[in-house]
Amino acid sequence: MGRSFSGLVIFVLKRLVQLIPVVFGVATITFIFTRLAVRDPCAIWYPKAKPAVVQGCIHTFGLDQPIPTQFVNYLGQLLRGDWGNAPPSLGSAPVLPTILSQFPATLELVLTSLFLMVVIGIPLGVVAANANGRIADHLVRIFYLSGWATPTYLAAVLLAIAVGPVLGLPVSSATPPPYPTPTHFSLIDAALTLNPSNVAYAAAHLALPAVALAFLNMGIATRMTRSSMLEVLPLDYVKTARMKGLTQAWVLYKHALRNSLITTVTVLGITAGGLLSGTVVIESIFSWPGIGKYAYQAIVGYNFPGTVGVVIVFAVGVVVANLIADVLYGILDPRVEWR
Amino acid sequence: MTDPILEVEGLSVDYEVGAGRFHALTDVSFEMRPGEVVGIVGETGCGKSTLGHAIPRLLPVPPARVVGGAIRFQGTDLLQVPMWKIPMVRGTGIGMIFQEPINSLNPAFRIYDQLAEAVRIRLLRESGRAPSFHAGPTGFDYSRRPSPKPAEVLSHPFVPATVVERAAPVRRSPDVEREVLEYLKLVRINDPETILRLHPHELSGGMRQRVMIAMALSEKPTLLIADEPTSALDVTIQAQVLTLMKELMEEVRTSILFISHDLGVIAEMADEVGVMYAGRLVEFGPVADVFERPGHPYTKALLRSVPSRYKADGPLASLPGSVPNLSRLPTGCPFHPRCAIARPECAADPGPALAPVPSSPSSGHRAACRFPEEVAGLP
Repeated sequence: MGRSFSGLVIFVLKRLVQLIPVVFGVATITFIFTRLAVRDPCAIWYPKAKPAVVQGCIHTFGLDQPIPTQFVNYLGQLLRGDWGNAPPSLGSAPVLPTILSQFPATLELVLTSLFLMVVIGIPLGVVAANANGRIADHLVRIFYLSGWATPTYLAAVLLAIAVGPVLGLPVSSATPPPYPTPTHFSLIDAALTLNPSNVAYAAAHLALPAVALAFLNMGIATRMTRSSMLEVLPLDYVKTARMKGLTQAWVLYKHALRNSLITTVTVLGITAGGLLSGTVVIESIFSWPGIGKYAYQAIVGYNFPGTVGVVIVFAVGVVVANLIADVLYGILDPRVEWR
Repeated sequence: MTDPILEVEGLSVDYEVGAGRFHALTDVSFEMRPGEVVGIVGETGCGKSTLGHAIPRLLPVPPARVVGGAIRFQGTDLLQVPMWKIPMVRGTGIGMIFQEPINSLNPAFRIYDQLAEAVRIRLLRESGRAPSFHAGPTGFDYSRRPSPKPAEVLSHPFVPATVVERAAPVRRSPDVEREVLEYLKLVRINDPETILRLHPHELSGGMRQRVMIAMALSEKPTLLIADEPTSALDVTIQAQVLTLMKELMEEVRTSILFISHDLGVIAEMADEVGVMYAGRLVEFGPVADVFERPGHPYTKALLRSVPSRYKADGPLASLPGSVPNLSRLPTGCPFHPRCAIARPECAADPGPALAPVPSSPSSGHRAACRFPEEVAGLP
């Protein structure tokens, strides 16, 4: 197929087709486990109701049918775009529209974290590799190891109770913003109002959750960049670049980093999955209105359609993140062919 | 006589690895005049490459450490120049070609981008828009012979330029592109327009080395260091690249420091030759003098071990013993344990650092041996 644009399109399409069995598998596993975990959710949804009401609930949700039949019915609904409703005790909100309206907030959070990882983590790795064994290298290593050693929930709680109040940053996004939210991306919505104070409001609310989410994974970006830079720097083409008369910064950030990024990007693709799972904790702690918080609420509220739905969205997110990483990998490394 | 463009004086470089200390270069001194080709020859590990890397200050600073000496390039001691100013010397001042063409081009960029970068650096420096250590191409002659050569006929493009223009969406300035093509043609690359769009992995080793040579030359360096430019190539390609370099030396009259382990290559290419042994320059002088009347027993032994089709009598001559460990050099002359004419005083004291050889007194032929007149008597 080579490296033509059509080769790339075929590569992406193939990978998207591979998404179908992934979604099917994830839906099957999640569906079966939610049904096996709680045999009679209606009793939980209506704890003090009359038996007739519970029976009606069981009938409405089809829980009196055998599990294979329930599963086939559920798959049919999935394909029709009807992902079920939340239980009546949680307001019977339809799952798919809820997830779709909350997904942008999560995407915004994840992208901001990735942005922080790229603009802070990668240059730190370059600095460390360049100062290999010297004081700057040790400082960067202390920084990224401390990030790596800090569980996401601990970093988030520390930021929420210690750093946020000191810096005057908001630690909760529970109250809706004072501007309309047509796109559900808080920064874009704020920018659309053309009011700088709204942008500042959105950025302030985004700051702590994004930093908390990025902190752990920034260490991975820094570490990967550092180690791959250390592999690249002694190579002859770096010497060639130096001997052209390029300054140290050009040699490092153009010639060496371009090749180190090939490994870093692959690892960042894998961490994107970790970022998505991190959103469950981060969004719950900072009341960020995204699907991470929704996932948590769905699980603790016995919202089975919601749980399966959000897990499917996470699975698709992980696959797409890895696909993007693979495409970037191919773009960065001209020796890769689309296969 | 013209001023030397490069004077290396008493250069000593150590490598500090763990607790050990290796004397990679000990008291190396020689000079090069404009337009001269100086060959450096020696066995693996004798410090040839360390010398080549030390001159443009390319040695990684730990573990390498320059412990003494001076490297005067056009009168300026490069060892005194602050490290941030060194890039101004490289490229247009000192260019370099490396041993492994497989690794010496950046795999991530197209050939055009890599060559254009070098051309742009030179154009910026020539126009004064970028700081340059040495402004202007003084002492440097890029005049080319006007007569058309077979190579120029061969370099006629096989693919029309318009096709390439549409296929390759690379930002190009016409000046830079013209020069890039000119230099690719200079190194006898057929069809340079197609090469421009390719990445290094799509070229053969010989082609990559030609691109490397074009890249180094495109900055019009005052001094070109060729660090074993043909050693990693197979024999036929090696011959092609050497022929090319020899032709280029006549066209582009730049000073070249040619590092090689191959005595034949040095004899073919160089005007002067330096022979290195265990980090020392043991002999230096015009190629004809050094090879015909060696003034150091090591040079004699090296020359004797070159296989020749005329000397079919018996096994290939070899030198007894092995190269000394650079962390534990023998006292006195480093060669004395393997030397046929060594006397007790050779072990006591290093002897002269390059003294004129009596058999060829006028030519600047010097050797680091106490008894140069006895070398001729060796088998």
